[in-house]
Amino acid sequence: MTLPLTIRNVEKSIDDFKLKINELSFEEGTITAVIGTNGAGKSTFFKMMMNLVKQDSGDIDVFGKSVNGEDESWKQLVAYQAQTLIGCDPFTGEQLRKLMAELYPSWDEQLFRRFCEKLRIPLNKKVHKLSPGVRTKLNLALNIGKNTSLLILDEPTAAMDIPSRNDFLQFLLELMESGDKTILIASHQADDIKKLADYLVFIQNGEVTKMLEKDSLIFSYRLFWLKEEPPVSRIPGEIKRTYKKVILSNQPDKTLDYLTTHNLAIADEQIPTLEDIIHEVLMEGEMINV
Amino acid sequence: MNLPIRLSKSSREPIYHQIENQIKALIASGQLSTGDPLPSIRLLAKELEISSITIRRAYQNLEFGGFIQTSQGKGTFVAEVDADMKTTMANQAVEESIRKAISTARQHELSDIEIIHLVEALLKKEEN
Repeated sequence: MTLPLTIRNVEKSIDDFKLKINELSFEEGTITAVIGTNGAGKSTFFKMMMNLVKQDSGDIDVFGKSVNGEDESWKQLVAYQAQTLIGCDPFTGEQLRKLMAELYPSWDEQLFRRFCEKLRIPLNKKVHKLSPGVRTKLNLALNIGKNTSLLILDEPTAAMDIPSRNDFLQFLLELMESGDKTILIASHQADDIKKLADYLVFIQNGEVTKMLEKDSLIFSYRLFWLKEEPPVSRIPGEIKRTYKKVILSNQPDKTLDYLTTHNLAIADEQIPTLEDIIHEVLMEGEMINV
Repeated sequence: MNLPIRLSKSSREPIYHQIENQIKALIASGQLSTGDPLPSIRLLAKELEISSITIRRAYQNLEFGGFIQTSQGKGTFVAEVDADMKTTMANQAVEESIRKAISTARQHELSDIEIIHLVEALLKKEEN
C-alpha cells in the first residue's frame, strides 16, 4: 500500500539555519504531532511537504508522488492549514467555500456546514472583517471540509477559545473514525498532543527526530522519589535530580537495578508528565533513545 | 460512553495491560454486560490521553480472549462471557487489589502479622 507521506534524506538551508530530516514514513490512520520551540523549523518542514519551499536535497513523496514533480494531482489529496490565511482578505467565507468545493473532489459540504454551525463561523463576512480567532476557525472549517486523506495543520488551536478547541478536537476525531485519514499537527498545546497524537516527532537543533510512539516514549522515563539522598552525584540512568531525592531516569531498569543492589529505598515512583519530557527534550537536549 | 478506567501512573504494569484488566473487571463485576457498546479506539485514546496504538493493542487482546467483539462499521461490543470465567476474573481483580495493598503496607514497613491483624480488624468493622 502507498503511504500517505514519506520523507528521505531531506536537507534545507535558509541563511545560517539548517533543517535535516533523515527518514520519516507516515502510516494511514495515524496522528503525528510535530514538536519544537518557536523558530525550530516546523513551518519550513510543513511548507516543504507542500512544495511551497523547495528542499536542497532529498525526496518527499505524497501518496507515492514526488511533491517536486510535474504531476501535481497529489495536491487534491492534502489539506494544509498554514498559520495565517493568506490572500483571502477580500473574500467572504461563502466565496472561499465555493472555490474549495470546486478544487477538492473529496469536499464534504455537510461536514463543512456542521463545523461552521458548531463553531459559529459567519460565512457572509469578508475575511478581513473577522477577528484573528474567527479567521483561524474559518481556515480550519475550509480545511476540514476538504475531507482529504492527508491533513497538515500548523498550530491550528493557537488563537482558539476553549469551547471551540474542544469542538475542533471532536471533529478531528470524527474524521479519524473512518480509519483512512492521516494527520500531521504542529502544536504548542500539550493537551492537544496528549489527546490526539499517536506519534511524536521532535525538531531539535535543526534536526528532525525519528517518529516516537507517544506511550513508549513516556514509559521510557520514570521518576523515583527516594527515601534518602543517594551517596553519588549521578546514578545510572539519571538525567535530572530535584529536591535532592527525586530522580528522573531515562533508563528506569538500570536505575531500578542500581537502587536495589545499593539498598536505596524508593518512597514512590511514577511516569513523568508529557510536559516534563518535552521540556527535557527541547530545553535540555535530552537525547531520545527509544 | 465514558468507561470508568483509571490508569495508574505509578504502576510498572504496561498501560495496555491496565486497560485490558480494568475492562475485564468491569465485565466480571457486571458493570458492562453482553452487548454493551465500548467507545471507539480514537475516543478512548482521547479520554485516557494515550495513543490509539495502545488502545488498539488492548482491544485486540480482549477480542482474542473472547471478551469483546468488533463488527465492521458498527463498533465494538461486550461479548458473551460465561459465569465461570467471570468468577475467575473477579478473583483476579480482588487478588490484584490485595497485592497493591500489600505493597503499600510494605512501603510503610508493616510485618505480615500486622497486615493480617489490619485485615481482620477491617473485616470485623464491616460486619458491624
